[in-house]
Amino acid sequence: MALKKQEQRPVAEKGEHIIARHLIEDDSIKEEKNLVIDGVDVSGRWNTFILSRVDSEFDRSFFREVKDTVVGSRINRCWQCGMCTASCTVTPLYRRFNPRAFIYMMQLGNLKELKKYIDVAWRCVGCYKCSQRCPKQVNPAEMMEALGLVIKKYFPEEVQSKLKVDEDVKKIYDDMILGHGRLDLAKLHTSAMQKTGRTKELLGKIERDAIFKMAKDGRAFSILRLGKPHNWNSSKEAMGNYLKNLNTIENSEA
Amino acid sequence: MAENILVVGGGPAGLNAATMLSELGVNVALVERDSFIGGNPKKFKYKFLFPDMQPADNVIGELIKKTESGGNIKVYYSSEVSDFKENGKKFDATIKSAEGSETKTFDSVIVATGFEHFDPARDAKYSYQLFDDVIDIKDLERMMGENNFVRPSNGQPPKNVAFILCVGSRDRHVGNQYCSRVCCTVSVKQAIELREHFPDCEVYIFYMDIRTYGFFEDLYWQAMEEHDVQIVKGRIAEITSGPDNTVVCKGEDTLLRGPFEIPFDMVVLASGMEGGSQSPEISKKLGIELDEHGFLKPENITLSPFKSNKAGIFLAGACTGPKAISDSITEGAAAAMNAYTYAVKNR
Repeated sequence: MALKKQEQRPVAEKGEHIIARHLIEDDSIKEEKNLVIDGVDVSGRWNTFILSRVDSEFDRSFFREVKDTVVGSRINRCWQCGMCTASCTVTPLYRRFNPRAFIYMMQLGNLKELKKYIDVAWRCVGCYKCSQRCPKQVNPAEMMEALGLVIKKYFPEEVQSKLKVDEDVKKIYDDMILGHGRLDLAKLHTSAMQKTGRTKELLGKIERDAIFKMAKDGRAFSILRLGKPHNWNSSKEAMGNYLKNLNTIENSEA
Repeated sequence: MAENILVVGGGPAGLNAATMLSELGVNVALVERDSFIGGNPKKFKYKFLFPDMQPADNVIGELIKKTESGGNIKVYYSSEVSDFKENGKKFDATIKSAEGSETKTFDSVIVATGFEHFDPARDAKYSYQLFDDVIDIKDLERMMGENNFVRPSNGQPPKNVAFILCVGSRDRHVGNQYCSRVCCTVSVKQAIELREHFPDCEVYIFYMDIRTYGFFEDLYWQAMEEHDVQIVKGRIAEITSGPDNTVVCKGEDTLLRGPFEIPFDMVVLASGMEGGSQSPEISKKLGIELDEHGFLKPENITLSPFKSNKAGIFLAGACTGPKAISDSITEGAAAAMNAYTYAVKNR
């Protein structure tokens, strides 16, 4: 009878037997489903181990690495006033996107903490408001690029699994860059509306009004007159080759 | 007949007051409790002074030289004011030294008894005196002054050093609620010196606020931007011993909301300034007021910060509160002018 009961027992979830399980992050629990030490079976809950949540090291080699990049060279200037986060256009939408905190984690080499933000660390839209406001001229906007480099280097697997490139969007961008040498906001807008199934709204009142307004004040025509960047043909070839190489590299890595 | 003015205390404020009065032709009696003049900067062998890193000797040495060569100054070493009485608008004071007692009548008095460094051993959480590698800014200053810049425990150069700000300041627990004003700047100055001396040594400053006021801010920016000194927000609650002969600082990183326990080769406590035992002593002897922080109380903190509540007794330097050396020197001059005016008026 007792044996039967054991057989019916469901497979234990990680750290299931910890009473205040909700207080402990998944990554902090070390538990082997099957473990035998010196012939003694200590599978499952018997080898459960909770890692300390106390930081016990500042890793300055990481700070130096960031400081040696062009975009991260001013990391030593940051004094954590929070002006970047306060002025950020993204933070109100994603509270977890906090440039100030990211810079601090990079300063102290706190990779453990940085890892938690892989999904949002890329949300910077590059408006450069933070860099304009920063009292110490840290240039946080570019620091976010340094952050991207760092995350890609130290957490390649997590980046692969958590950030899936939308092939459609990638194609729109590639076409735009290679076709015109510029980002075409109008095209980006219509593509986004089409992709999200809001084609109808494109002919709605708000859109129509905007188009009339832009035609009236001349912005619509100045966009048409912009043309392509200087020496576009040679640049286009170089960029095309670069993107092609990049694709091959990424594909071979995968 | 020349005026007689008594100056109590031979630190930067007292020395500057004495030399200025001497230049005016006043007979100055300078009472100094130590066997040398120059005050705390001399006693603890300060090496370089903020904000411009000039040798302390340029300032203190200069003042001492002027005092010793000034013909009108009589310095009483290892002495104290043993008896003090008002005599009309003048004062009768007995100066007691090794050579005996001497009673004189003075037209006015300048009190420049200064401050004392907070003794971090009074605050057990910092484990000062328990671990050799936990020192405070005055110890580090002395080590630098003696060109003996190594880990006290093993004589090796340190690989990482932590500065802890607000030790003995802004802490009800030790009874000092005020900010000691200069420890932040002294700490960033020493951090820069450490980084220059040991380029491979990482320096961290644990802070609650960094109060490098006025142009001292330049030094703070310099520490971060040119010397890569890292600031970490959070006060340290405990210092314990760690592996490999290290000392562990336990605190909270208030910006990331996480506890930390980081081992360091050396910890430097930025201990603050206190009125010391001399402030209540002189307050009692001269009958002038003491404030709630244990310093001497000026008559009007804004209008006359150099006057005591008693006419004819003037205050200068850190005896009225934590102060930078430059401020003490300024106050010495201000008190000298006021003491002279008072003496001439009541001639």
